[in-house]
Amino acid sequence: MSTTAVLADSTAAPPAAAASLRRYAAFAARRTARALIVIVLAYVLVFLVLAALPGDPISAQLESPQAGYTDAQKAQIRKFYGLDQPVLLQLLISLGSALRGNLGLSLSTSQPVTTVLGDAIGSTLTLATTALALAVLIAAVLGLLSRLLGPGPLNALVRALPAAFLSTPNFVIGLVLIQVLAVGLGLFSLVDPDSAGSTLAAALTLAIPVSAQIAQVLITALDESAGQDYAEVALARGLPPVQVVLRHLLRPSLLPTVTVVGLVLGEVLGGSLITETIFGRTGIGTVVQKAVTAQDVPVLLAAVVLSAGVFVVVNLVIDLLYPLLDPRLRGTEATR
Amino acid sequence: MSILQNARDTQGAVAPSPDPSLPPAPLLQVCGLRVAYGDTEVVHDVSFSVAEGSALALIGESGSGKSTIARAVLRLLASRRARVDGSITLQGRELTTLRDGEFLALRGRVLGFVPQDPGSSLNPVRSIGAQAHEAAALVPGARRRADREALVRTAFERVGIEDPLRILRSFPHQLSGGQLQRVLIALAILPGPRLLVADEPTSALDVTVQKQILDLLDDLRRELGIGVLLITHDLAIAAARAQAVVVLQDGEVREAGPTSQVFTAPRSAYSRALRADVPGLDADRFASVRAQRDARRTEGTLARRPGEEPHVVASGISRTFRVGERDVRAVDDVSFAIARGSTHALVGESGSGKSTAARSLLGLERLDAGTLTVGGRQVDPADGRGLRDLRRHLQIVHQNPFTSLDPRFTVQRIVREPLDLYRVGDRALRAERTAWALDAVRLPSAVRSRRPAALSGGQRQRVAIARALALHPDVLVLDEPTSALDVTVQAGILEVLLALQRDLGLTYLFISHDLGVVRQVADTLTVLRRGTVVESGSVRDVFTNPQDEYTRRLIASIPAHGRTAVAA
Repeated sequence: MSTTAVLADSTAAPPAAAASLRRYAAFAARRTARALIVIVLAYVLVFLVLAALPGDPISAQLESPQAGYTDAQKAQIRKFYGLDQPVLLQLLISLGSALRGNLGLSLSTSQPVTTVLGDAIGSTLTLATTALALAVLIAAVLGLLSRLLGPGPLNALVRALPAAFLSTPNFVIGLVLIQVLAVGLGLFSLVDPDSAGSTLAAALTLAIPVSAQIAQVLITALDESAGQDYAEVALARGLPPVQVVLRHLLRPSLLPTVTVVGLVLGEVLGGSLITETIFGRTGIGTVVQKAVTAQDVPVLLAAVVLSAGVFVVVNLVIDLLYPLLDPRLRGTEATR
Repeated sequence: MSILQNARDTQGAVAPSPDPSLPPAPLLQVCGLRVAYGDTEVVHDVSFSVAEGSALALIGESGSGKSTIARAVLRLLASRRARVDGSITLQGRELTTLRDGEFLALRGRVLGFVPQDPGSSLNPVRSIGAQAHEAAALVPGARRRADREALVRTAFERVGIEDPLRILRSFPHQLSGGQLQRVLIALAILPGPRLLVADEPTSALDVTVQKQILDLLDDLRRELGIGVLLITHDLAIAAARAQAVVVLQDGEVREAGPTSQVFTAPRSAYSRALRADVPGLDADRFASVRAQRDARRTEGTLARRPGEEPHVVASGISRTFRVGERDVRAVDDVSFAIARGSTHALVGESGSGKSTAARSLLGLERLDAGTLTVGGRQVDPADGRGLRDLRRHLQIVHQNPFTSLDPRFTVQRIVREPLDLYRVGDRALRAERTAWALDAVRLPSAVRSRRPAALSGGQRQRVAIARALALHPDVLVLDEPTSALDVTVQAGILEVLLALQRDLGLTYLFISHDLGVVRQVADTLTVLRRGTVVESGSVRDVFTNPQDEYTRRLIASIPAHGRTAVAA
């Protein structure tokens, strides 16, 4: 064990590394298991809620006199979709095949649900991840500027921006960006919604209000760290103020910031629906919108569980980050 | 040492060691210093100087401006929008006119800082090693990794850190306050500063650790010729550790001079009052009140009947907590007895089990073994009704008056609350009792309709005592009742408590880490260490003839204990 290794700013200390790694692995395994249970429970809950809704497109079509199905045909169609079974049995069958990767057929297009979502998910994921990355980037810049700029009008502006971002509606930002970037400056084409420029503009629309929430938490956390004794002591030790911010204030502030990133994810997913409409993109938002109109239960179920799954996974990642960010959380109740 | 010397020599800006034949030139000279926050000036025309290799203590109570002065010297007030006027020179160089960039070169390298609370002064999410390495990287000339490691190693050795490799791997929350303060001192001396500003360096530490840290600062001052600006509220520490003192009150210098002169013949009334209130300097401060109490206990209504059982008895109490995977015996077979109308002290450092023992008496802890009786009745945490009855006769005063009072209630409401809870009498009687309790603690009537935020620390503690008195209890558990207060305020509170005991015949269980205070107020004491009884007996016997090594160490660490004869 050389001093060299000791002095490195490592999050996991080498000598007790094996034991602490084992502990961390056990913690990660427990959290992952819990996350899977949550996704399954989400599936069950959404299934039951959708089953409890009055009517479904099949019944509507079958019962309509124009369709002119015979009773035998009706029974056959119901049997094909499994609707002749009790709801709980339907749930078990549906859950069983979902676990095997088969999400059933869309009621309106008869395509497999996996295909319907698969076509749309790429576009939405690109949009959402770009937006989240942009939001974090904007928040980080605002947060650091709030500490690095000395007191003055510029600092006040940086601190006022998040509130301004938050209070501007999504569609206004989107329309302004289209007007300025596409129509005014011609930076991207309005015809091709999947071009990089258009994607970036859409992501920015989504990112601005979200970044505001992250920035507010980050700025508050940085201010709080700055008031701590260790910040003053580091300054008194001769560390340049910029380094005090980067080395001493930033990391303790990451904990609440990362937490809020997990929370705003819902906003990114929800906001993508509006943004996709503004920018004419086909994504999960469009698919969900169509599915709601058509009462396409299998597609709805899959889309909702997918969103829940993304939420659970991101929050799992954040949970797993906590003990890495703050050594005090290692081996405590919070990391059981 | 040689590395520290080298590090110092690599920067030309620092003056060479003083020629011993010349009188020591002042290392730090502060002249006509004024500090204002907005329109409010908090430091008025303060001047002093610190010589090489000597210590100057800035003494004052909270709000006296001593920490503001320290921060003005270190230029740490910038973020607080403070205005600093006057002159601060270091080694003959004017600091106030330096630009921030120029001042940065002095920070750490010439001006070292030892903070007040070691527990919050290192970054909690970074290892000690990372922070030590960062400090070493600031030393000019320490460009190679090996240089930095040597610097860290030397500094850690110099401050007596045992097992440095383990410490370097640790995070702050894994170390004790004493270890952390050693680390912080190591980081402060690592670049070889000429002046250390120590802001209450030991007020957050246990007494025995306090002594070790102060000894360390003394050694560093002598061996490395470092000047020390010691900020303290504790006169006893100043008396024992500094060559010169400056007594501050409300941002003004009340008195200044060599320590021996200020302490033997204080010229200002404030210094005299301060000195009289230091527990370690005057063991018999409350002798007359206690004599009156003893007179009343032998005759009259409060007289003890011969052969009377002790009022509070703990016999063989034990309490074990499970921490992670191991059992910690917080209290292990502890016994003590308190005669009616007397004061028994539970003495010990943090983790000694004194608070757990006190909580057990209130029925807040389930005991693993042993019994507690108050007035002949056993305390049983499972018996809710019995506990309710018990607490009518047994009340507690907590350590921290800043958190133990509900901020939304007025003083009167706070004191009346126990009467409301126990449905004592009617409105008129409750009002009368409230007024009586507030009179008993001598709280001015002007503040009785205010809320805690508008009160000083001492006034708040008086409110807490009044609240405890409202139900006419006969036993008070006093859990470090004055440790959060300034000495003059502490003396006032202790005086009130002793007068109440004299007049009402109260029985006190006095929890404290401060043997100086215990000697002033207690009749008997039990010394606890890691949950077990180390020594017990009458205060007089234990102080004149301590049997245990640990007790001797505790007594030796009463600040200024050894100087009593000189100072008195």
